[in-house]
Amino acid sequence: MRMAEERSDAIRQYLDQQILLLSTLSGMYPVKVIGNQDHLDRLFKAINERGHVVDLQVIDAKGVQLSYVGPHRALVEGKKYHDAEWFNDTLIAGKHVSDVFLGYRNIPHLVVAVTDPLKTYVIRATINSEKFNALLHQAQMGHSGDAFIVNPEGEFQTPSLQGEKELTSAERELLVHHEGTAAQVMGSYLYTTRWIKEGQWMLMIKFKVSESLGSFNERRNNSLMIIAAATIIFMFSAVLLCRYMVGKLERSDRRRANMDQQMIQVEKMASIGRLAAGIAHEINNPLQMITNQAGWIEELLPDEDPALVKNFDEYRDAVSKIKFHVTRAGTITHRLLGFSRRMTTEKECIRVNELIEETISFVENEALSNKITIERELDENLPTTMSDGPQVQQVFLNILNNGLDAVDHDGKIVVSTRADDASIYIEFSDTGPGISPEVMKQIFDPFFTTKEPGKGTGLGMSICYDIMKKLGGKIDVNNKKTGGAIFTITLPLRKMGEPGQEEEGTFGYEGAIS
Amino acid sequence: MTLFNVLVVDDEQEFRDMTIKRLTKRDITAEGVESGELAIERIKHGDIDVVLLDVKMPGMGGIAALREIKQLKPLLEVVMLTGHASVESGIDGMKLGAFDYLMKPMEFESLLEKLSQAYERKRMQQDKIEQAQIKHDMFMNPS
Repeated sequence: MRMAEERSDAIRQYLDQQILLLSTLSGMYPVKVIGNQDHLDRLFKAINERGHVVDLQVIDAKGVQLSYVGPHRALVEGKKYHDAEWFNDTLIAGKHVSDVFLGYRNIPHLVVAVTDPLKTYVIRATINSEKFNALLHQAQMGHSGDAFIVNPEGEFQTPSLQGEKELTSAERELLVHHEGTAAQVMGSYLYTTRWIKEGQWMLMIKFKVSESLGSFNERRNNSLMIIAAATIIFMFSAVLLCRYMVGKLERSDRRRANMDQQMIQVEKMASIGRLAAGIAHEINNPLQMITNQAGWIEELLPDEDPALVKNFDEYRDAVSKIKFHVTRAGTITHRLLGFSRRMTTEKECIRVNELIEETISFVENEALSNKITIERELDENLPTTMSDGPQVQQVFLNILNNGLDAVDHDGKIVVSTRADDASIYIEFSDTGPGISPEVMKQIFDPFFTTKEPGKGTGLGMSICYDIMKKLGGKIDVNNKKTGGAIFTITLPLRKMGEPGQEEEGTFGYEGAIS
Repeated sequence: MTLFNVLVVDDEQEFRDMTIKRLTKRDITAEGVESGELAIERIKHGDIDVVLLDVKMPGMGGIAALREIKQLKPLLEVVMLTGHASVESGIDGMKLGAFDYLMKPMEFESLLEKLSQAYERKRMQQDKIEQAQIKHDMFMNPS
């Protein structure tokens, strides 16, 4: 409805504009001036910048042509118009707008004519109606919609967008005079009609009903799409959130299971610790007796005459070995009792190569049975250092055992030693699978183990780390480019009497109290 | 001539006997008792410089005995020696004024060194007190 009104207004304005233009000319110029051919030529140029005025003609009140500008000069020259309906219509009404006609060049035309205020002449212009048609076709009518003007006889005044040549019989029934704008649905089309140009023309706009609902449908579709998109996003987020939550729960469950495992391990360790402490006590007392008795023999031996005692030297050696092994056993029981820390205050001069040889001897049988060779690349001129032999040995043993587990069978472990001015370096490289980045991050964490539950305590590497830290050294782990892992132990080089740089605070009570 | 007097307190007779025998060989007067209670009784009679005290004994334990000994004779030095020990009992012993807290098995030479150090400290403390006493006396009786 609004569209019909808008279009009819546009058409009316357009026609009014053409009439106003001619009225202005007729008002401004008397017949003598405008009837002059040269003058009309100039006026034509002035008003026809846009090129939609085809020709301009001035006719006097008696119907005789005075001047003409346009392509059909020959046809109109000397022509009389006193009988022409449009001419008389113009003289009576003061203005005339014709129906659209094709004209000589088969281009739709429209004639607009006005008379001057004194009715001494008529000025007529032929307008190319293409521009006029464009005004109609600007309306939004959808793909199968149409907008055109018909006269009361139903003849098309402007071309149909759909290429219709004449109205259907149903459409003809709409050519009934009515006021304002009328709308009616016929078949699948909605027709909007409005009489314009004082009832001479009818503007007819038709839409396919389904298309006229296009914008509504479009909006509805947009809304549906937004709802669908929102639903999808919501569901997607919900799924993601659920998966995240489930993952989190799973992780926390796993962590809890790990913690439980660790707690079981801790309890197991604690009960083993209690048992070990009990045993250690029972062993320490007899060990004290053994060392006392051996010491007593050692003390008394010098009183004997070596000449009279056949195996004097053997006895002396045996006694010193008994004492040595009691000390060794004591070291173990002290460690079991948690006193190993205190023992580190008593530094001794250690020969790293000898400790390595001894440690390798502990594991050599196991290595042989798994076809693992242990190669030594030991620096023969390695200096001695002040440190805790048994603890350093414990670190060596732990790394060697881990290496054997990693290689599994048919492989090699290379132990090498070297030194610079500040430190002794001991490297253990194996031909195992190496250490994954995840394991690498936690390798020194207490209770972290890659072994099956119950097989490893997860304390070995953590203890090694603590021991090396306490001894002022460090332990590094890396993967070799050629595969396998490499553990590097750095032990500070200390001469006898040189103060250590251990963290005294972490020692046993002796350091803490005194 | 005896260097100093040691009281060996341990419920294991063999340990007491052997330790006494070896200390005596080094001119250190040594005697033994088998419990904390007996140790306190013996100390009351004087003449003891250093006590070698076991921690775990039937009856009065080493820690309780140490507390009483230190109350009775603050200058007397006590070296704890035990086969069963924890960091906690070690800390208790040191807080109560034990000279050191040692673990069995202990080589006799190391034990002897600790006992000598303990006696040395006792002597130095005693000297300080005597010096202070002399100064005090001189101040009170300048003549």
